[in-house]
Amino acid sequence: MSAAPPPPVVIPGSGNNIIVSPTQKGNPVLECIRNVGREFGDILADYQVGRTTGLLWLSLRYHRLHPEYIHKRIEKLGHSYNLRILLVLCDVTEHRDSIRELTKSCLVNNITIIVAFSLDEAGHYIATFKQFEHKSPDLIKERTEKDYHSVLRTALTSISKVNKTDVETLRSSFGSFAKISHATSDQLQNLPGFGQVKVKNVKNAFDKPFRNNA
Amino acid sequence: MSTLLPFHKTILAEIHDPATNDLVVLARGLGLRRLVCSLMKIYDSPKNLVLLINASPEEETAFGEELGIMGCRRPGLRVVGYETPRQERQALYKGGGLIMVTSRILVVDMLQADLPTELVSGIVVLHAEKVTPLVLEAFVIRLFREKNKDGFVKAFTDQPEHITSGLSPLKNIMKELQIRNVHIYPRFHEAIKKSLERRRADVVELSQEMTESMAEIHHAIIQCMTGTLSELKRSNTTLDLEELTVENAYFKSFNVVVRRQLDPVWHKVGPKTKQLVNDLGTLRNLLYYLLTYDPLQFHAYLETLKEANTVNQAGNAKQHQSPWMLTDAAHIIFDNARRRCYTTSSTSREAPPVIDLVDDDDAWDALNEAEGIKVDTKGKGRAYRPGWLPSTMDPVLEELPKWDLLTEVIQEIEEEIIRQESTKKPVALGSNTILIMASSTRTCNLLTDFLSSHDDTAKKGSKGRRMMLQKLRVYLWWKGKQRKEEGKSPTYMPGSSKRSEYGPSKNGDSGISEALQRKDREKAERNQSRRRIRGGAPTTKSDRPAPSTSANVQPAEEDPFAEFWATQAASDATLTPFDITGVNETLLDFGSQSLESEFNDHYGLIPPEQTIIVRAYSDDSDDRVLAELQPRFIVMYEPNMEFIRRVEVYRSAHPGLGVRVYHMVYGNSCEEHKYLAGIRKEKNSFERLIKERGSMLLPIYEDRRDGSGRNEDTIKTISSRYAGGRRELNTEPSKVIVDMREFRSTLPSLLHAANNLVIPATLTVGDYILTPDICVERKSLADLISSFTSGRLYTQCELMSVHYKYPVLLIEFEEDKAFSLEIVSDMKSYAKPSGKYPAKKAQGGPNPPNSNTPAYSNVSLQSKLVLLTLSFPRLRIIWSSSPFATSEIFGDLKKDRPEPDPTKAIATGADDDPDAGAGVNTAAEELLRCLPGITPKNVKYVMSRVRNVRELCEMSLERVQDILGVEPGKACWEFIHKGDTK
Repeated sequence: MSAAPPPPVVIPGSGNNIIVSPTQKGNPVLECIRNVGREFGDILADYQVGRTTGLLWLSLRYHRLHPEYIHKRIEKLGHSYNLRILLVLCDVTEHRDSIRELTKSCLVNNITIIVAFSLDEAGHYIATFKQFEHKSPDLIKERTEKDYHSVLRTALTSISKVNKTDVETLRSSFGSFAKISHATSDQLQNLPGFGQVKVKNVKNAFDKPFRNNA
Repeated sequence: MSTLLPFHKTILAEIHDPATNDLVVLARGLGLRRLVCSLMKIYDSPKNLVLLINASPEEETAFGEELGIMGCRRPGLRVVGYETPRQERQALYKGGGLIMVTSRILVVDMLQADLPTELVSGIVVLHAEKVTPLVLEAFVIRLFREKNKDGFVKAFTDQPEHITSGLSPLKNIMKELQIRNVHIYPRFHEAIKKSLERRRADVVELSQEMTESMAEIHHAIIQCMTGTLSELKRSNTTLDLEELTVENAYFKSFNVVVRRQLDPVWHKVGPKTKQLVNDLGTLRNLLYYLLTYDPLQFHAYLETLKEANTVNQAGNAKQHQSPWMLTDAAHIIFDNARRRCYTTSSTSREAPPVIDLVDDDDAWDALNEAEGIKVDTKGKGRAYRPGWLPSTMDPVLEELPKWDLLTEVIQEIEEEIIRQESTKKPVALGSNTILIMASSTRTCNLLTDFLSSHDDTAKKGSKGRRMMLQKLRVYLWWKGKQRKEEGKSPTYMPGSSKRSEYGPSKNGDSGISEALQRKDREKAERNQSRRRIRGGAPTTKSDRPAPSTSANVQPAEEDPFAEFWATQAASDATLTPFDITGVNETLLDFGSQSLESEFNDHYGLIPPEQTIIVRAYSDDSDDRVLAELQPRFIVMYEPNMEFIRRVEVYRSAHPGLGVRVYHMVYGNSCEEHKYLAGIRKEKNSFERLIKERGSMLLPIYEDRRDGSGRNEDTIKTISSRYAGGRRELNTEPSKVIVDMREFRSTLPSLLHAANNLVIPATLTVGDYILTPDICVERKSLADLISSFTSGRLYTQCELMSVHYKYPVLLIEFEEDKAFSLEIVSDMKSYAKPSGKYPAKKAQGGPNPPNSNTPAYSNVSLQSKLVLLTLSFPRLRIIWSSSPFATSEIFGDLKKDRPEPDPTKAIATGADDDPDAGAGVNTAAEELLRCLPGITPKNVKYVMSRVRNVRELCEMSLERVQDILGVEPGKACWEFIHKGDTK
């Protein structure tokens, strides 16, 4: 701990900082929490990353040595916090069983698991939880790109086997979406990079009915 | 048409018994398709119901045709796709006969009991080498065997090389297919040997030496490969070095081998290793291109390589250069490649270059219109210098030595034909068509070009000079253009295999009017497509008879000679403008098909004796080509083991036919080596298979009772994990309700394998319903990213939260791939600010850290996940490293919880979907969802109002607005029709 954290401040009040439980002192992830302030405080969770959000920290390597630890912590957590996160650092290669077991007990205890694969990533998660505390979900609510080309690209690449180059080919050869929809198989077949399968996929998407009522 | 050879009959006799289950491994090229079709023909009867599964889309039609030819027409092989309505499918199954069905539909039909599984006579599985526990075919067989003990399963494969990886690959396949007999028929099998080697082959092996510079380049590339390989070994100590040899690196599968070893740690290996793995691929391609591309093309490819290597996508200098590029050997490659095309002299020897009257500097500009060239090199030879050449450039234009060889061979063949015609009895079997087989359509195009423009009077090594000069000109044009728009997709040249990239005009006059050219182009395209239809094979783009260039014919042959020139003139006129430069510039012109009748005017003139057909190697459909053309002379421009066998079979099937094969190989090249190594590889894998068969412990399949067997369950509960062996016997089979669309993934199959009753249903909310409370939405990594950007995931989570107590998002990674999100975002945006926090803030004060800026593309997947959990605190996330892990987790979650109710699950949230339960066209739905104005809320409504996407595109603005509402309707309509007036 070369970058010595500020001495424990007991008033978890200001609300702009991540509150870190003193038990986390020495955790290397602290170094990786960037762009937000942090302060030590006496809390039930390991990190309090929002007014109603508590986060528990678990390294899988530690979990394998002390499998009972996390259950105790969860028990202690009780029913506090609205959003309860278990941040799992996946630092072992044999993760399957541990994760399975954690998944089950977290479902029972209303905890959401987030798996991070490196300290950097874990730090990023912790910081983002704080930063996004009051953010509206618009970012993931609607599609984010609006301009014609990107919409066209997402639309056409949703057809399997069609890539960005093909989208460009289609656009430059036909002009508009409507024209593409009218292209015949032969026309498509003549385009560079269009094999039988791709043509078939494109035709399926455009021509076959959405539902067939059987 | 296709007569069965004795060994075919032997195999059929072994496997035709419907009481046995068999796996047949046949060497490639020995007519597997014919075999399967003959077998199916035996079973063809309305009393039987035989299903054919796991065929690739191309094979679907090919099998139908083959069976049709064999006389299985009424009703023949029928194909069931998703668009076949349910009732029709049921009727089809009841009717019996031969049915080809997509595995996904078959699984659903079996689960829903639309298909009377107990009545199925048998299943024929193609591509058995691809069967693993994860694929749907294994699921199909499992479902089949659950209810039907008597039906047969016949599996076929002709890819023994694929069945060798892993511990006991053959056994695994047999286990999945529940087959106990395996028949292995390598080429060296007694029966096959006997039938094929009754008559010795008339094969002329031609080993062509490479030119000096080619040999040097070849050597240098190998050197680079060795270097790269040892570098790779050094930087990754974990790699299994056994398989990493230069020899293996010749094969495409090498990349797969390396990736398989590196995949679990792929996110951890540095960019350097990735670069090295890529480089090996590039070098392997180079080797291949060296032997097949013409020197100019090869040189151009190298230049783009150099370009791509020094400049990254953003246009800045690239950090990690390929190490091989910096070696001496690379210098030799680049230098020699250039010298094969041209040399530059600073002092131009012929100070004023010969200026052709027609061809002054203006022609240089005219190039952009790709007007024809007036060049007539004949007679002038090397002394001639076209005016468009830069004065410092001396064209060398080395030609591929095989070209010369090819002309010689063709000449020999023609002489042979004449000789036979003059001496032999009038009726000879087979046609005089010369079939030239090459490895790719690209090579085919090149050869066609060469053959139609080569000059036989020129001396050896410069016969194709005319073509090469044209290519040089296009190359210069390309260079100029590239320089003009620096950086704009400089890679299109080697990438796109469009021959029109080089636009040599073959006819002499450039005065041809625009309209004429256009018309000709239409004709040419039509001819092309027409040919394709006739060939009936998928990859016959070049299947076009090139006029034979019988230039050196004796005076006695005056007659066909004249005719040839007449036809060539005609065909030239049609072919020329097809080569108009730059498809990218000129809008593709799709000629109307109405003038089809003219086809005969152009091609009907050439009698079959004089045609040369250039084709690329393909799959089993090559057999049909041989049978239809009945050629007596076959030139194999590149070695191909399968095709040799095809010819063997073809020859044995036509006893009276004298077939001569010319087999061309570059001596001491990777081509030769690759060919031999390929043969060796196949032989080895067969030997391994035979060995494994000899020592195999055949699994005994335990009986599974209908629905779900309970034996496994009981075993599980006495597991020693629980002290005292807590026993419990659930009376109800454990059920999982699975959305119809999910059957494309592997999870349903694994759930079934884990003794769950899988119930397919069309679900509006969620993908899997585990208990009345738990609803799971499965996302693979790619899905996750795309549904975050489209906003779909948000809606799905919203719906799940409304209807279920435990909404769950399952993030499923791929088996054997890295279990990490980092692989998605290689850039690691979050790790960038490395300074300490206060410093960072001062700097980023006005412009807060990237997560707050609305630069959407920068928001990492992790941030989006955070936002999702913040929005839905009740949402749980399952992180699963593979489908296997998922099925285990599901099992855990279901333990001691009530079973879900299908009818309730289907009804949940489905009130607004009038089509619940109908067949779904996922591709169309996905496409529709991506259009502007379509929201997850109205998509169902739109689908009920509009038939398909095309119909939506045809609607007027008012009608679209009527469906979608004014604003979204306008947005949607404008999107669809943007660019219409162009």
